[in-house]
Amino acid sequence: MGVIHPDIASQMVDLCAALLLLTCFAIVAQRRLSACVDLFALQSAFLAATAALVAFLTGIHHIYIAALLTVVIKVIVIPRILKKVIERLNVTRELVLTVNIPPALLICGALVILAFYITQPIISLGFLLTKDSLAISLSIVLIGFFTMIARKKAVTQVVGFLVMENGLFLGATAAAYGMPLIVELGVFFDVLVAGLIIGIFTHRLQDTFDSVDTSKLTELKE
Amino acid sequence: MIESALIILSQAIAALLVSPFIVGLIRKVKARLQCRQGASVIQPYYDLSKLFRKDVVVSTNTSWIFTATPYILFASTLTASLLVPIFLSKVPMNFAGDVIAVVYLLALGTFFLILAGLDAGSAFGGMGSSREAIVASLTEPAMILSIFAVGLTAGSTNLSTIVHKTALLQDIVTDPPPHLMAFVALFIVTLAETGRVPVDNPATHLELTMIHEAMVLEYSGRYLALVEWASALKLLLFLTLLSNIFAPWGIATEAEPSWMALGMLVWLAKVSGLAVVIGVIESMFAKLRLFRVTDLLGVAFILSLLAVVFFYILRV
Amino acid sequence: MITLFLLIALVGYGLGIFLPLLAHRRPRVQNVLAHGAAILGSIGGVAVGVTGLAAESPFVFSLPSTLPLLRYAIRLDPLSAFFVLAISLVGVAVSVFALGYVREFYGRHSIGALGALYNAFLLSMTLVVLADDGFFFLVVWEIMSLVSYFLVVTEHEKAEVRYAGFFYLIMTHVGTAFIIVTYLVFYQQAGSFSFEAFRNLSEPLPQGLRSVVFVAALIGFGTKAGIVPLHVWLPYAHPAAPSHVSALMSGVMIKTAIYGMVRVYFDFLGGEFPWWWGFVILTVGAVSALLGVMYALMEHDLKSLLAYHSVENIGIILMGIGAGMIFQSYGLTQLAALGLLAGLYHTINHAMFKGLLFLGAGSLLYATHTRNMEEYGGLIRKMPWTAFFFLVGAVSISALPPSNGFVSEWLTFQSLFLSFQIPDLLMKMMLPISAAMLALTGVLALACFAKAFGISFLAMPRSAHARNAREVPPAMRVGMAVLAVVCVLLGVAPMVVVPAIDRVTTPLVGVSIADKVLTEGGLALMPMGGGFASISTPVLGLLLALLVPVAWLMAVVIGGKLRKRFYKTWGCGITLQPRMEYTATGFAQPIKQVFSTIYRPTVKLETDLLEESRYFSKRMHFETHIEPVFQKYLYDPVVRSLNAVADRFRVVQTGSLQLYLSYIFVTLLILLLWVR
Repeated sequence: MGVIHPDIASQMVDLCAALLLLTCFAIVAQRRLSACVDLFALQSAFLAATAALVAFLTGIHHIYIAALLTVVIKVIVIPRILKKVIERLNVTRELVLTVNIPPALLICGALVILAFYITQPIISLGFLLTKDSLAISLSIVLIGFFTMIARKKAVTQVVGFLVMENGLFLGATAAAYGMPLIVELGVFFDVLVAGLIIGIFTHRLQDTFDSVDTSKLTELKE
Repeated sequence: MIESALIILSQAIAALLVSPFIVGLIRKVKARLQCRQGASVIQPYYDLSKLFRKDVVVSTNTSWIFTATPYILFASTLTASLLVPIFLSKVPMNFAGDVIAVVYLLALGTFFLILAGLDAGSAFGGMGSSREAIVASLTEPAMILSIFAVGLTAGSTNLSTIVHKTALLQDIVTDPPPHLMAFVALFIVTLAETGRVPVDNPATHLELTMIHEAMVLEYSGRYLALVEWASALKLLLFLTLLSNIFAPWGIATEAEPSWMALGMLVWLAKVSGLAVVIGVIESMFAKLRLFRVTDLLGVAFILSLLAVVFFYILRV
Repeated sequence: MITLFLLIALVGYGLGIFLPLLAHRRPRVQNVLAHGAAILGSIGGVAVGVTGLAAESPFVFSLPSTLPLLRYAIRLDPLSAFFVLAISLVGVAVSVFALGYVREFYGRHSIGALGALYNAFLLSMTLVVLADDGFFFLVVWEIMSLVSYFLVVTEHEKAEVRYAGFFYLIMTHVGTAFIIVTYLVFYQQAGSFSFEAFRNLSEPLPQGLRSVVFVAALIGFGTKAGIVPLHVWLPYAHPAAPSHVSALMSGVMIKTAIYGMVRVYFDFLGGEFPWWWGFVILTVGAVSALLGVMYALMEHDLKSLLAYHSVENIGIILMGIGAGMIFQSYGLTQLAALGLLAGLYHTINHAMFKGLLFLGAGSLLYATHTRNMEEYGGLIRKMPWTAFFFLVGAVSISALPPSNGFVSEWLTFQSLFLSFQIPDLLMKMMLPISAAMLALTGVLALACFAKAFGISFLAMPRSAHARNAREVPPAMRVGMAVLAVVCVLLGVAPMVVVPAIDRVTTPLVGVSIADKVLTEGGLALMPMGGGFASISTPVLGLLLALLVPVAWLMAVVIGGKLRKRFYKTWGCGITLQPRMEYTATGFAQPIKQVFSTIYRPTVKLETDLLEESRYFSKRMHFETHIEPVFQKYLYDPVVRSLNAVADRFRVVQTGSLQLYLSYIFVTLLILLLWVR
């Protein structure tokens, strides 16, 4: 670390992690699909910044590569794909939600508190770079998961899935100083493929049901 | 004693004199962004002085509540702004009230304004009052909690103490996540409480959309002047809170005249900067439907709550 | 001294019970006798309260009785004195008010019975907080419940009043059963019903029994206090009684339950509480506060609205007490004292402003003969005094500075916020969350009273009732004025109130905090010193009072003399009718929509269209209801299963007198054989 006082360093990482959490709440409160995707891109940009910061502070260079890949795949490629899907399908906003937005926000707040409660014993062990990022990453994972449950449109479910992945990645970098490079590359590849597959799947859904409402999938059981 | 009185007086005068300028500045920014020349930034001063001199038309349906409200609103808003550090971090009135008192003083004004909206018997006034009631009920908890989150880092809910300690970076816990959450929450609260886009549109008189303007629709002449001045003061108060609680640096920490002059300049720069930001936001976003406003205010409430919980869980 | 005052109080109430019954069929005389005696009694009560608070040691008095176990024992310690003071202060004002108000009932109901019951009610409440013996307490508690039942059903010719009374009777007896359990546990350990024995048990209760006592007392007293979910009877019963009795029930009777809880928890059980006790009280308080105000917002019957606000305020009081108990369990005695202080401060405040508001509602009922807010409007011009006093009450209950409600809510906020000193994580998270709920409650209460005052008093009259209203008689105005003045004083003089309540809390938690809380020469309140927070309502009040004329002067200086023109309100080109005004339903509509998860509103709209055109409707019928969640999902199943069980036993009930006699005969034979 050297250059920067460890306290200030950890606070900088905490700040970045908090920004990620903030975008999560923005996604939960947002009904417009394209804005959700934009917010996801913004979140990924913050994630890349966090990763770069951790790389700089710890001197572990391969995290830079992960940061770069985050920018390329999650800030540029995947949002582009999703935007295309939205454009082609002509669905702009989500009018009917499984859980309405104010209660969804309350639930997400509860999830964050739960995440802090769960991780608190680990945090107090004190071997982490920062105090918050582990708890925040768990919160992001939970909120992403909840978004997938609360929303009906396939596109927002993809966003929820990707948010979950962002949370995992944040946990990996901030708590464990990054996974081995090969694992990270694999994960990125997985995410990209998943993004593509879900994109195609959404198209098929649209073709079959004239809608991207995933609750229509229940009709397939016959 | 005399020194304290002078400081209180100068604080009141500064707040009163600067507030119309902020309103003018926001209007100017919006005009420029819409490629219009726009009125001068000092236009609100002309408006106020003209309104003060005009005749007053009062509805025959109204009671003394209607005539007393402008004065009560003005007095309560001014009292609240005496509790907020503007250019000097140690406000003489600090002991008289903390952040909860500020919020409840503003609520006192809102309460009477809601009554005045109902007083004339017009459906517009009732509509404005009813909407103001729901917006206020969702913003005020968020406001208390967000300032309280910052207050915890300084170990006090008195605004002066918070600002003073943060300005000197003494005895405080610097802690970005709660601060960030609290700042975003308070910013949303500012937009909502001062009737700005995307919650309310100060420039509209379309019955379907207006909140604050509907409530004060029956006011004219000097009553309107007082109400408008009070809402400008409230806007300034919120911008001052945002700038001085989260970035108080530059504020005078001792009652030295030269420091206070500098503090005044820095404060002007900060609130003008925030006013420009608000102008830009008003130009960028559309007004939300009334029942979508709750989504936004829900975000503010949850963020402020999380800011407090963060602190409670991790710091102490 | 105390003996004399106590004698005045008891004799006053006693005369009030008997004298009106003598003046048969002369309502005027009965009215003056009953309420004059009640005024005398409650003035004596005020004196008892004040001297009791100032006294160095508790005043004790006891008489043996002919019944085993029962002892007529009285003990006046600061806690009792505080509640006697609250009851009697409201009693004075309400009795004065009643002098005018009961004229409403001349010729329709027996004023003698009403007056006698009214005095018995005041007397029993005073004795409840004075009793120093478990058995005696239960006796006077039961008298209080029965007398208040008879008062609730004064207008028994109305079916809904009978229903309300029946509901109340059942609930209050369920509550009493749990209080009996509480005292029996103590009795079994102490071997006596005397409170002195409860306090100094030879060997302390085992933890399990302590918790039984805690839960039984919570349910027992909680039923009377109206905590959620035991509150359902309250919005029926309180409004059904005559308004001056409603003021007593909502203002002070539910406070006797608070007294019971504080007495049992802090005085009898004392010491360190398990952590979950405070947690339960705090949660119950927070939920009651929030749900109370939310249901109040949907009410358009002014008295039901006020009754729901009692649920809310009991919640706020319990939040203070719960916070105090949590601090007590972690050994933070000073903060425990602060929480208890906040709770008790709100107790006396609520007694005053809720009493005032119910008297105001009574005045409206007296003048308009309806409780429906949608039929009020414009009353501020017809009844300026009532309007002003109601406004004082509304500002106080909405906790707007510099009112008394503000001081006590602020203290509650502070005791919740200071929880960061607690070492336990769960508690630390719970307290700020309840602070958030308190903040939400406070602002919703503001919205609710803006609605109540605005719709009732402002704009144009909405019905013939309101158009023909006249200001109420002087006695009623004086009654309201007394409470309004007390409200203002409690707000701007915390330097007198805080030390007084501190005398109450000191023996209960063991530390005195008055000189720590009062700073700046008594002008400001600062919990626990250290500069955490401070307010000064006298200074805020002074500033507000000063700045209003300053604003007026400024307007005159800038704009010259005020030239006012009067004109009718613009009604979009047509004459404005009262029907175009915003209604109470309309005012609360956005709130109903936003919190629809809680209210679960149902809407029914029927439209008959003209045959000629589908664009015009002949008639529209709109109905909206909110779901009574607790009744539907909690009480109805219980009642249903009870009915089912009762059905089974119906076989033995044939209606034949001979059969009943033979039941008794067989029982008698079996018993005789048994004891042989």
